[in-house]
Amino acid sequence: MLRNSFQARIAGVLVLLLLVVVGALYVAVQTATNAAVRSQAREQLDVGSLVFQQLLEVRGRQLHDAVQVLAADFGFKDAVASGDTETIRSALINHGARINASAVMMLGLDGNLEVSSDRQISGETAKRLSAQVMQRQREGVQIFLMPIADKIYLLVQATVTAPLPIARVMMGFQVDDAFAAELRELTHLDLTLRATQDGVADIWISTLQPAQSKQLQGSMSELANDAISLIGEESYLNQTLVLASGDGFEVRALLHKSLSQAQEAFAPLDQKILLIALAALSASLVGALLLARSVSQPVRQLAAVAERVRQGDYQASLDLQRGDELGRLATAFKAMQQGIAERERQLAHNALHDALTGLPNRTLALERLGSAITAGRPTSLLYLGVANFRAVNESLGAEGGDLALQQLSRRLQVVLRPGDSVARIIGDEFLLLLENTNSDSAVGIADKVQQLLLKPLRVATHDFALDCRIGIASYPVDGNAPEELLRRASIAMQDAAGMPSHLQVYQQGRDDAQQRQIRLIRDLRHAPDKAELLLHYQPKLDIAAGQVRQAEALLRWQHPTLGMVSPGEFIPLAERTGSIQLLTAWVIEEVLRQLREWAGRGLRVQVSLNISTDDLIDPQLPARVSKLLAEYQVPAEQLIFEITESGVMLNPEVALQVLHGLRACGISLSVDDFGTGYSSLAQLKRMPVQELKIDQSFIRDLDDASEDSVIVRSTIEMSHSLGLKVVAEGVEFERSLQLLGRWQCDTAQGYLISRPLAAQAFETWMAQYVHAPSTLVH
Amino acid sequence: MNKPLYLSTLSLLGMLLFSTTLSAASLQAELVDSEGQPLANAVLTLRSEVAPVVAPATAVMDQISQQFAPNVLAVRSGTAVSFPNSDNIRHHVYSFSLAKRFELRLYQGTPSEPVVFDKPGVVVLGCNIHDWMVGYVYVTDDPWFAVSDAQGKLNLEQLPAGTYTASLWHPQAPDMLPQDAGQVQLTEAGSQQRFTLSMQAPGGQTAPSAPVSAFGDAFKKARDAAQ
Repeated sequence: MLRNSFQARIAGVLVLLLLVVVGALYVAVQTATNAAVRSQAREQLDVGSLVFQQLLEVRGRQLHDAVQVLAADFGFKDAVASGDTETIRSALINHGARINASAVMMLGLDGNLEVSSDRQISGETAKRLSAQVMQRQREGVQIFLMPIADKIYLLVQATVTAPLPIARVMMGFQVDDAFAAELRELTHLDLTLRATQDGVADIWISTLQPAQSKQLQGSMSELANDAISLIGEESYLNQTLVLASGDGFEVRALLHKSLSQAQEAFAPLDQKILLIALAALSASLVGALLLARSVSQPVRQLAAVAERVRQGDYQASLDLQRGDELGRLATAFKAMQQGIAERERQLAHNALHDALTGLPNRTLALERLGSAITAGRPTSLLYLGVANFRAVNESLGAEGGDLALQQLSRRLQVVLRPGDSVARIIGDEFLLLLENTNSDSAVGIADKVQQLLLKPLRVATHDFALDCRIGIASYPVDGNAPEELLRRASIAMQDAAGMPSHLQVYQQGRDDAQQRQIRLIRDLRHAPDKAELLLHYQPKLDIAAGQVRQAEALLRWQHPTLGMVSPGEFIPLAERTGSIQLLTAWVIEEVLRQLREWAGRGLRVQVSLNISTDDLIDPQLPARVSKLLAEYQVPAEQLIFEITESGVMLNPEVALQVLHGLRACGISLSVDDFGTGYSSLAQLKRMPVQELKIDQSFIRDLDDASEDSVIVRSTIEMSHSLGLKVVAEGVEFERSLQLLGRWQCDTAQGYLISRPLAAQAFETWMAQYVHAPSTLVH
Repeated sequence: MNKPLYLSTLSLLGMLLFSTTLSAASLQAELVDSEGQPLANAVLTLRSEVAPVVAPATAVMDQISQQFAPNVLAVRSGTAVSFPNSDNIRHHVYSFSLAKRFELRLYQGTPSEPVVFDKPGVVVLGCNIHDWMVGYVYVTDDPWFAVSDAQGKLNLEQLPAGTYTASLWHPQAPDMLPQDAGQVQLTEAGSQQRFTLSMQAPGGQTAPSAPVSAFGDAFKKARDAAQ
């Protein structure tokens, strides 16, 4: 299609240009022709009118001479002098006949018509004739035209002398079609003569076709000199001549030059131009197509090669031996082809190799492993990490680190057997692929590697001993997918950190735990939004009063596929991955919402909830909680925030500020898990806490004589002396509760009282408990 | 106009009419046109109450050098005029005038019969073969007449003193008619008188040398318009 459209465009443009040129030429020729025809016609009209004039004058002169001779004839004079009208008339007719005069008249010297050969001449005409004769006499004109009756006459007068003038004789020669035809013969012009008498154009003589003449009679007055007018089918250039005019009459001549006829002479020229134009058009069309073809074929060839390059074939041959621009383009194309091939090779290498060490990268290593697996070759992976690489980097700088890694890579290559390969996975982690090697042999090789790496590296002026850990995973024992094997080798490497030999073969199941962790970490972020979280409430017993007025809100996670996940598993993960604040925020709001709901049903409980370390260093927390309290219209006294000693210790200043802020809101604070940390009592004193929770590890097996009883008892006493209330967690046995009661512990919490309950269940439990509160305490 | 110095013959034949005084009067007249220019070939005629008895007379109209001589001849009615031909070529003298129509066919020498002009009037003479030859015979009934010379002067002598009625004529007089010149008193002492003739406006009578047509103008106009 490209070829077609390109050809068509070139041909189109060329043909169009040619058409414009030919058109302009044609118009120019036409204009020049028309101008020539017109000026020629004009000239012919001028010449024609001169000829016409000459013709009239010559004719007039001849006639005048003849008339003069006639008038001088003695016999004629004699007859005229006789005074007898009939005699005179007969003489007039007789003598007129001699020179073919159509009408002969005799006028007195005063101009009055006395005798006429035509008896029927009207008085009006006679009068007009007389006036005209006298007029002409005064002008010295003896030849003139005048219409008489229904004819136009060329009138010639002569004086009859005897020897003095005694009369005028006037001879009229009819101007008729023969005369017009003669003029036409001479000049090739058409002639129309029109005579008007008393305003009526009643005499027409014309050489035009009768139809044309008829049309002309209708539109005579519209004809202008030197203007082209259409008479019948033909166009004419006209010249009007007023040959005679007088009182009540006019003789007008019209010379017509047919332009149509003149233009016919140029018709062959037009035909030739058309022929030349057609020939030029077809020649240029062929030329354009050939030209376009000579361009489009190489272009098509180039396009085909480009297409093959697109498909990745850089070997396509391009045979275009041309010296022109297309030839240069082809050369450039070849160079480009080679350039692309070279760069692609480079890119492919870069994609599969590490830039720093030149070793295969992770992708290539996996590919090779994949090949080995496909081929069923037992293969072992040695995953090597440099534990102290950070230290190397810090002391040598990034460049030094790079040099160290390059040296390391060279050393690793030394141990390779044929078929083995080493790859750099990332940073300080390398992978050795040992083909046809089982796990046991791999351990041997790993050991050899470690021996090799014990020798310190020398970078610049420093010697370094690298601390390498190696994890081993083998195909097919530890997996049969490249990614899986690599991951497991990596896990083994991490595990190797804890081994004295810094060498670890992958342990079955290690991978699963890690996978679960990763999944939990990932899903935990979305748990609040997906409504997978819920709160359970564990009642807290006021030992002295034997009443339950408090509960601890405990977070539960109902994972859609893993089921209920224990807080012990996901809370540390949340803390480690920074999503704990998200959870705390959700817990605070959910507790408030629940309290508001219960308040609506008349249930008033003080609920404690756990605040993480991260929350404690968030200065915005008090403000946020305060805003939520106002929003849910829950009194701050119904909230207890449980904090850990270690949380406060992390950043005591901010933490204390936050705690004071919370306290200012009216929220009670409780120190959770007291006894497990290393906090001093002095610090405890500085904190605005109202309660202390003794960790369940002290309470669970509480009896009279144990060490725990001393700690618990003294803690209670100490707390009371500091003005703090004490909560005992993990109360499972009646005996424990009794002991706590005896030691005046304030509150007890544990399975003995109730396990944590869902909100609905807790509400029900509370309702029952109100009815039988004393079953627990005695 | 040819005006040979030629005194016309005074045909004053009427002599001495009355007895009381036998003395004769004479008139010296000067003829001019309305512009005061002397007129040659003008005819003055006089008549009185008493007409003398006059015998028939003869006169001669010669043709010399293809011209009539004299150009104007005044004669009394009944005068026989002979037309001698002094040229060595022939002439064909004719007249179609009402006063006298005649024709002397080609002749040489003097024709045997003179032409008698018996009616008063103007007789215009022409030659059929020489168109330019024009002559006039003024035929009058008045007893006294004379033709002016080249200076426009004429003399009439031997007239009885008395009162006369004068008439004037000239070929170029309007319509070629005689003009009344009023009363003239002649005494023996002789009179001198100046007469004025009104003449026909000149022009229009001269024959054009070549025929003229009016077409040139029309064509010229058309050509000019086309330019």
